[in-house]
Amino acid sequence: MLAVQLLINGILLGGTYVLIAQSLNLIFGVMRVVNLAHGSFIVMAGLFTFWLSARTGLSPLIVLPIVFVVSFVVGALLQPVLIEPLMNQGRRAELLSLMVTFGLDYVLVQIALHVWGADYVSLPYLQSTWTFGAITLSKALVVVGLFAVGIVALLYFGLNYTSFGKALLAASQSPVGAACCGINVRRVRLFAFALGIALASSAGTLLIMILPMAAESADNLTILAFVIVALGGLGEYAGVTIAAFLLGLAQSLAGYFLGGDAANVLPFVILIAVMLLWPQGLRRAA
Amino acid sequence: MTLEGSPASSHVVDTPALTLENVSAGIGPLTILHDLSMVVPARKIVVVLGANGAGKTTLLRTIAGLLPPRSGSICLFGEPIHGRPAHLVTRAGIGHVPSGRELFPRLSVADHLELAGKVASPSRRTEIREQLLEMFPVLAERLRQPVGTMSGGQQQMVAIARALMTDPRVLLLDEPSTGLAPKVVLAVFETLPVLRAQGVSVVVAEQSLTLGLSHADEAFVLDHGRVVLSGAASELAQDHRVIDTYLGR
Repeated sequence: MLAVQLLINGILLGGTYVLIAQSLNLIFGVMRVVNLAHGSFIVMAGLFTFWLSARTGLSPLIVLPIVFVVSFVVGALLQPVLIEPLMNQGRRAELLSLMVTFGLDYVLVQIALHVWGADYVSLPYLQSTWTFGAITLSKALVVVGLFAVGIVALLYFGLNYTSFGKALLAASQSPVGAACCGINVRRVRLFAFALGIALASSAGTLLIMILPMAAESADNLTILAFVIVALGGLGEYAGVTIAAFLLGLAQSLAGYFLGGDAANVLPFVILIAVMLLWPQGLRRAA
Repeated sequence: MTLEGSPASSHVVDTPALTLENVSAGIGPLTILHDLSMVVPARKIVVVLGANGAGKTTLLRTIAGLLPPRSGSICLFGEPIHGRPAHLVTRAGIGHVPSGRELFPRLSVADHLELAGKVASPSRRTEIREQLLEMFPVLAERLRQPVGTMSGGQQQMVAIARALMTDPRVLLLDEPSTGLAPKVVLAVFETLPVLRAQGVSVVVAEQSLTLGLSHADEAFVLDHGRVVLSGAASELAQDHRVIDTYLGR
């Protein structure tokens, strides 16, 4: 029974990891930009959700669509100013994009510190548990995990079964080929960045219910997302999903048997192990 | 693929399909095309010949809008298209089969046709799709297959089919023979007269002299980004200067 409980917890945790990682992956896939400000969007959204819920008593699940829309607009405003000018820089774009997103990360973290302070906060929501026989599940974790998986499922169907989604996949696999199909690649990039930011921010709203967060958490979350994407293979949607669930499971097991510190170190141990054994990423190795 | 006698083709009988005037283009500090002028007549197959590095790919990329020209003008049936972004050049009626094919390896054949078909009018879309699957029966059998798992020849057919799905008035083909078996190359070149008969003007960049000249109506020979020879393909086939240019004499 313990095994089942750890398994379910791991899958639910993995669900939130999929959301964190796929939003990073989406932006990388279309723009070849590793967004170092990823974690700061997650944290900003988490702290904003805490602040708004504490003030107004709104359920974080109602704040979720607000955060999604606002962050989508913020992403759509930032992309033409910060990212699009890099797109015709050829090989320099990669390094420049790291510098630009690192700068953005710095600015966002400072704003978060200024507005909400440096304290760790967490949102007391659905604090009770559900008990099924010998299995006890945290309600918050179940709700958060299911919402995250639901959002990722919507993303999956949007990408694979709508014409705009297919245009986005096409533009990420070959921008030149996409232009030859009459696809406005510039517009696809704008949309992909805005959507990536909106998904990352949604993850922040969900995470604040199960994880204490402060402005300084931003970099850890960026690294967590990057570890998962590196494990699954940059630009590989299926590989990243598998990697996120595996990491969730591994952390759930390590947290129980070895303690919280071990669970925190685990992503990096796994990353180093995989880089030594399968440097091309898990999916291509399989 | 405008059909004979359809309204779109009635006014274009004498206007050249493509007119390039004094076009210069390059990448970074490098100028590759120098003051290049050429005219592609409507409903003709034109081959652009030249050794490696002569500027063939750059020429096609510039026409397709992937590379903005630094100076000069490019007109499609009299309408200026230079300076437009590539997707608008596609929508204006230029289909491009780029070098390296630039397919979407994880997407299926059907996806490629669907994406490119958005450019064509809804009524033409179904019609072209049926024609293409007749022209390339292999693709009809493999509609759901990701193109990354297909052979080079099949991928070339997808690339051509994708370009034709946009219902182009001019088709640009960049070295369609690269990496293909001779039999497949012939099959690709044999589709060109079919397209011409349907009203499409074709520009093929090709390294192989015999292959290019034997399948084209007119030819341009490029050297160091300039047109050094041009004329009817049958005449150039007899002209020793063509081979001299190739050998750098």
